[in-house]
Amino acid sequence: MKHLDRYIKRILKTVLLSLIFGLILSISFMQAERKTVSAEEGSKVNIYFVHSLSCPHCLAERPFLRSLAEGNPNLSLYEYEVSDPQSKYILYNMMSLGVNITAVPVTVIHDQIVSGYLNEETTGKEIKAIVTRKLQNPGSDKVGELINAGGDSRYLSDLEIESIKENIGELSDNNADTVPGVPPENEDSTIDIPIFGRIDPKLISLPLFTAILGFLDGFNPCAMWALLFLISLLLGMKDRRKMWILGVAFIFSSGFVYFLFMAAWLKIFLVAGYVLWIRYLIGIAATGLGGYNIRKYFLTHGKGCDTEDSKKRKAFLERLKRIAQKEKFVLALGGIVLLAAAVNTIELVCSAGLPAIYTKVLAMNQLQTWQYYSYLLLYIFFFMLDDLAVFIIAMVTLRAVGIESKYGKYSTLIGGIVMLVIGILLLLKPEWLMFA
Amino acid sequence: MKVIKIGAVWCSDCVIMRPRWQEIEKENPWLKTEYLEYDDNKAEADKYLGEAKDIPLFVFLDKDGMVLEKLRGTVSKEILLEKINTYKNK
Repeated sequence: MKHLDRYIKRILKTVLLSLIFGLILSISFMQAERKTVSAEEGSKVNIYFVHSLSCPHCLAERPFLRSLAEGNPNLSLYEYEVSDPQSKYILYNMMSLGVNITAVPVTVIHDQIVSGYLNEETTGKEIKAIVTRKLQNPGSDKVGELINAGGDSRYLSDLEIESIKENIGELSDNNADTVPGVPPENEDSTIDIPIFGRIDPKLISLPLFTAILGFLDGFNPCAMWALLFLISLLLGMKDRRKMWILGVAFIFSSGFVYFLFMAAWLKIFLVAGYVLWIRYLIGIAATGLGGYNIRKYFLTHGKGCDTEDSKKRKAFLERLKRIAQKEKFVLALGGIVLLAAAVNTIELVCSAGLPAIYTKVLAMNQLQTWQYYSYLLLYIFFFMLDDLAVFIIAMVTLRAVGIESKYGKYSTLIGGIVMLVIGILLLLKPEWLMFA
Repeated sequence: MKVIKIGAVWCSDCVIMRPRWQEIEKENPWLKTEYLEYDDNKAEADKYLGEAKDIPLFVFLDKDGMVLEKLRGTVSKEILLEKINTYKNK
């Protein structure tokens, strides 16, 4: 069984490395065609449409823009599909110019940006109004300037971007409130739930999703052994204040390391999220990991705690013992923080699945930067909930408590099913995961 | 009859079993038990663990030191008492 597990892990590792290598190669060798855009003052208006073939709002906007452009000879439509390697330069340069394309669709009409699209009656009407204004008074064509500077076939330097910015002034987000899937104000999407009253599912679905995944991930007992050992040491101390401070420092450091790890995943997905096959890669990985966890649940008959890796654990436990017993409190505190960071970094491999999948889904939702990080903090809170409960109960009752490993096994099963479902949705119905 | 209890401070299931055994030992003062902390007594513990390396493990031995039964993982107090009653004269 262990050989099979190792074999599956090795296959997953090889597939992952090959795909990363393939991405680097494809980005290095692709060359984009250079175009020149002309915007004759007072007559021509260029519309730049950044979209994804997997995004339902983009698919709704595309025919609208096409028919708009076809009906007016003074309108030119430029389409950039986010997963198309030929679009990479212009998208990068647009981002450098200040166009936020972390979520699509984004429509740039000279100096106006329209983020998101709902339908022809709402966002469509707005786009038409901008186009009418621009036909009368085109103003500066920001993306056109980028293309004329060669920004669709190479990465422009900071100096070039700055010079374009100076020439054309700032871009303005025309409708920051219009985001994919968010209905206009007069459309009531709330539902009535007994006891809770009227609730908008769009507002609660992402927090609920975050809480469930964080909680499930928390039951993964990867680093719980270190906390339990620390508790056993703390319970032997006489100074209760010291006990609380050292324990809380350990838990917070563990959460902080997890936060950094998840923030790194999020950054990757926000920057490279428009590359279509990264979504496929995460989808395949999630489906594979989900299947692996479900299989693990049914095939693992072990009861209790696994004593393998006892050498690694013993070395850590000895170090923790020495640190916790240091006479100088500051040294003990610093040591605990470092050791918590170390053990959680080592154990990250053990629990890499759910946080990576969660951050991918989070990156697919159009949010403000502070909202992304708030969701990560919410996830970490639910992730640490079991650790906090075990620690607080032990400190209050002065008796060590634990969580039966069978719950960890159930969380493996439920987590596996959740990963499998998310994986399938990432591959086939990604729009269902765009809560916000 | 004697019970060898194998556990570790870092093991959640062992932590759960500790108060259960404390209650049993208090209620049955005649019962002989011995606790082996896994990391400090690895060689001896491994003899009892066998191929499955999971703890906690509770080994019921007769007066000659022969293994009567092994219970692994979290076990209810009722089952432990039932086993103790079954083997108490062995």
